[in-house]
Amino acid sequence: MALLEVENLSIGYNTKGGYLKAVEGVSFALEEGQSLGFVGESGCGKTTIGMALMGLLPSNGSITQGRILFEGEDLLEISEKKMRQIRWGKIAMIFQAAMNALNPVQRVVDQIAEAIMTHSPAVGKRGAIEQVKDLFQIVGIPQERMRDYPHQYSGGMKQRAIIAMALACRPKLIIADEPTTALDVIVQDQILEETKNLQREFNIGMIFISHDISIVADVSHDIGIMYAGQLVEYGAREEVFESPVHPYTKALLSSYPTITGDRSLLQPIPGETPNLIYPPDGCRFCDRCPGAKPGCGEESPVWVDVSPGHKTLCYHC
Amino acid sequence: MELRKYIARRLVQIIVIFFVILTVLFLLFRLAPGDPVSRMVDPDMTPEDSEYLIAQLGLDQPIWVQYIIYIKNFFVGQFGYSFHYGEPVVKIIWDRLPNTILLFTTAIILSALVGVFLGKIASWHKGKKTDAGMTIGALVTHTLFLPWLALIMIWVFGFKLGWFPINGMVSEEVWLDPDSGFVAKALDVIHHMILPLATLFLIHFGAYLLIMRSSMLETLKEDYILTARAKGLEEKVIRDHHAAPNAALPVVTSVGLSLAFSINGGALTETVFTWPGIGRELVFSVSHNDYPLAQASFLLIAIVVLISNLVVDVLYAYLDPRIRY
Amino acid sequence: MKVDTFQSEADIPRRFGWIGPFLEGWSIFKQSLLGKIGLTLLIIFAVMALCSFIPPLINPMYNPMTGVDPEITHSTGPSWRHWLGTDFMGRDIFSQLLAGARVAFMVGVSAAVMSIFLGTSIGMTAGYMGSFVDTLLMRLADMIMVMPTLLVVLILSSVFGQLNIWTIVVIIALFRWPGVSRIIRGQTLSLKQRSFVEAAKVAGASHLGIIIRHIMPNVLPLAFLFMTFRVTSAIIIEAALAFLGFGDPGTVSWGMMLQWVWKTGHMFQAPYWLLPPGICISLITLSFYMLGRAMDEVLDPRLRKEDQGA
Repeated sequence: MALLEVENLSIGYNTKGGYLKAVEGVSFALEEGQSLGFVGESGCGKTTIGMALMGLLPSNGSITQGRILFEGEDLLEISEKKMRQIRWGKIAMIFQAAMNALNPVQRVVDQIAEAIMTHSPAVGKRGAIEQVKDLFQIVGIPQERMRDYPHQYSGGMKQRAIIAMALACRPKLIIADEPTTALDVIVQDQILEETKNLQREFNIGMIFISHDISIVADVSHDIGIMYAGQLVEYGAREEVFESPVHPYTKALLSSYPTITGDRSLLQPIPGETPNLIYPPDGCRFCDRCPGAKPGCGEESPVWVDVSPGHKTLCYHC
Repeated sequence: MELRKYIARRLVQIIVIFFVILTVLFLLFRLAPGDPVSRMVDPDMTPEDSEYLIAQLGLDQPIWVQYIIYIKNFFVGQFGYSFHYGEPVVKIIWDRLPNTILLFTTAIILSALVGVFLGKIASWHKGKKTDAGMTIGALVTHTLFLPWLALIMIWVFGFKLGWFPINGMVSEEVWLDPDSGFVAKALDVIHHMILPLATLFLIHFGAYLLIMRSSMLETLKEDYILTARAKGLEEKVIRDHHAAPNAALPVVTSVGLSLAFSINGGALTETVFTWPGIGRELVFSVSHNDYPLAQASFLLIAIVVLISNLVVDVLYAYLDPRIRY
Repeated sequence: MKVDTFQSEADIPRRFGWIGPFLEGWSIFKQSLLGKIGLTLLIIFAVMALCSFIPPLINPMYNPMTGVDPEITHSTGPSWRHWLGTDFMGRDIFSQLLAGARVAFMVGVSAAVMSIFLGTSIGMTAGYMGSFVDTLLMRLADMIMVMPTLLVVLILSSVFGQLNIWTIVVIIALFRWPGVSRIIRGQTLSLKQRSFVEAAKVAGASHLGIIIRHIMPNVLPLAFLFMTFRVTSAIIIEAALAFLGFGDPGTVSWGMMLQWVWKTGHMFQAPYWLLPPGICISLITLSFYMLGRAMDEVLDPRLRKEDQGA
């Protein structure tokens, strides 16, 4: 049984302009201890998926169809009380440090200890603080900084503290949403490296969400490319990177300076992402697709298997 | 520690501000049209007494000497004699100060606490009837005209219903009775204090409620609230332990900023309820041309406002670690 | 949420015109219940103020200050002749109430306009000039801000004797600018960093030109918002002053009416006299306040976002 199975998930938001279809028909699966990366431009729905997994969609958002099976249980069917226990206990999240993810008026140690005590009340305050000490050791923050407030930390330290917090309850799954954005490149690299090691050490399933394909490439077993609320290509990292099929994936790969990529070929993708309140008929990438054929704009594309486990949402590839 | 430096800096600012006020007041009373001596010395005094006082206040000296004497007199607590009471001004204001502090601080603290509490509740029920009722109630009570509210209080609860005394701070029969103990006296003061306190409270809590409500709604959108939710905390814990302490910070600031406004209200309340405080003394002395008393009361009120501001700053620093460290 | 599609409208370049944003604001304002109630109440008060000229024309005994009903020598309750009754001298309370509306508008609006003018110019100067001018002006603002205006006017009237209504208005304005100037200064500081101001500077625009063409249109809506709050504070201060007996003795304001009912000891016998002026002061304050909150909603999204950026 897979750790996480998402089937045909669709999510929308009620906005002033109308009903926005943020995510449509997304399916994927994640095995225990494996990692999966979602890549796409901002607004493509990748963060929305992360929030839906946590059951934390904003009040104007709703899941219109699909199932989220976590350890065989549908998260959309269980009670709010049960869901609260799963949050952080089983599924944790690493937020972006640039976000105000830590409460400014509470000591860092208390914020992490709170997570531990919420999910295992038997530990007690003292036990929780002992555990935080260990966690700080693991993520490499000096213990004397435990009683500091978030604003006294550097960006890198905040990010480590957030990782420590995510590990606090030994979750089965961690969702990392843009975990290293806003950190400088060297710190970014360190954090990613450590995250990878921790994941292996604790056998945690991870979902990385990023707009930066090079970050995801570094840490994921499988990769999903998202465009305008849809998954457009999905497969093992090597497959997707070495033989990309969907024109959007190709464009993405050539718009980023990867380790192996040639800088002179760096190309921005022309055009804009479609409006998701009135999404266009047919393939959503059609307008920007260099290889668009006459039928593309009318008929919705279907999944095509490229090779075992590697599939794409495109007729003509 | 940073906190000490912060408070020291605010203290210096406050002392500077106070000296400016002291100086402006000096210039106002000496240089305004009319005879400054008649403003400082009771026209009804005997010639000897008045000459003594003129010498003591340096009114026969050049203005800069007068200024030095004035500053010196301030520090030794020499403010001259009240025309009306015939007593040293300093004795009168020392007498009144505790009464003002009692009424005023109780009112501010009570209304801030209740305002924060109700504002939090209103924000929980955003868009529902509870919220609408509280918001409208707060808007209406906050904009009531204070002296009028005080009169209505007196009319309804003092006159019609007869529940509370309508003036003063103590009943003579209780305080002159040798048998009444501390508790009886305290209860008597509380009995007198309820109407003025309720008046000040009604005017103030609404403002704090509205600020807390909107601050709470803003705070609930913050990322660390999302973190708290992701941690699997219960909504109640999130609101009380994560959102409320952050949301209360703007309320503290607004208590500080509105202190001047509150002091105005305090003076009006004291006057209508004849509460023997400094605000009432200021109003009384101005209407009776008791200049020395007016000047000293004003100075003392300025000190009260400035010190309260400092207290608010310290409280803010205590609540917000970003300032403390 | 970071789903960026939601925010794209906010990134539209800032407007320089006056009419477009006004109409856009009006359409938001119209949706606000508070704004509509406030505006309706204000229109009623404005009508009252305009009508205040009528009663004395009908009969000199309706003159709010000097008119006395020859048949009445003490305070009487409402009747056909005197809709809200008369005060202790036989003057018509309804006429006084109408005259009070006129005084309230006069005091409130003129003090507010003056203090907003002061606050906006001082705030823009401080923000735009920076360095020691900024420090000096803001320290001055801090100092004035902690002064209780009502008591300041009291102490001034103890030195200068009875103040007339315009002096009171000017003093209120002089002591009520710091709050506005702080906000305007902050706004100016953030505008100064904006690319369109930089561009104007490079293009050789003068300082005054930049302030008038680029800074002012962007801070004025905010100044306008504060004006509604200043109107209320001016009205309250004048009313309180009159209530305490330090108002202009030649003016019939609502505060003055309350002073009469209080000082002549009629507050327990004459609710028809005690209630109307107090209700009017409270309601006019409430309506300006509601108007201000509604305007706040209109300005809010844009302003909030910028505050966070700065």
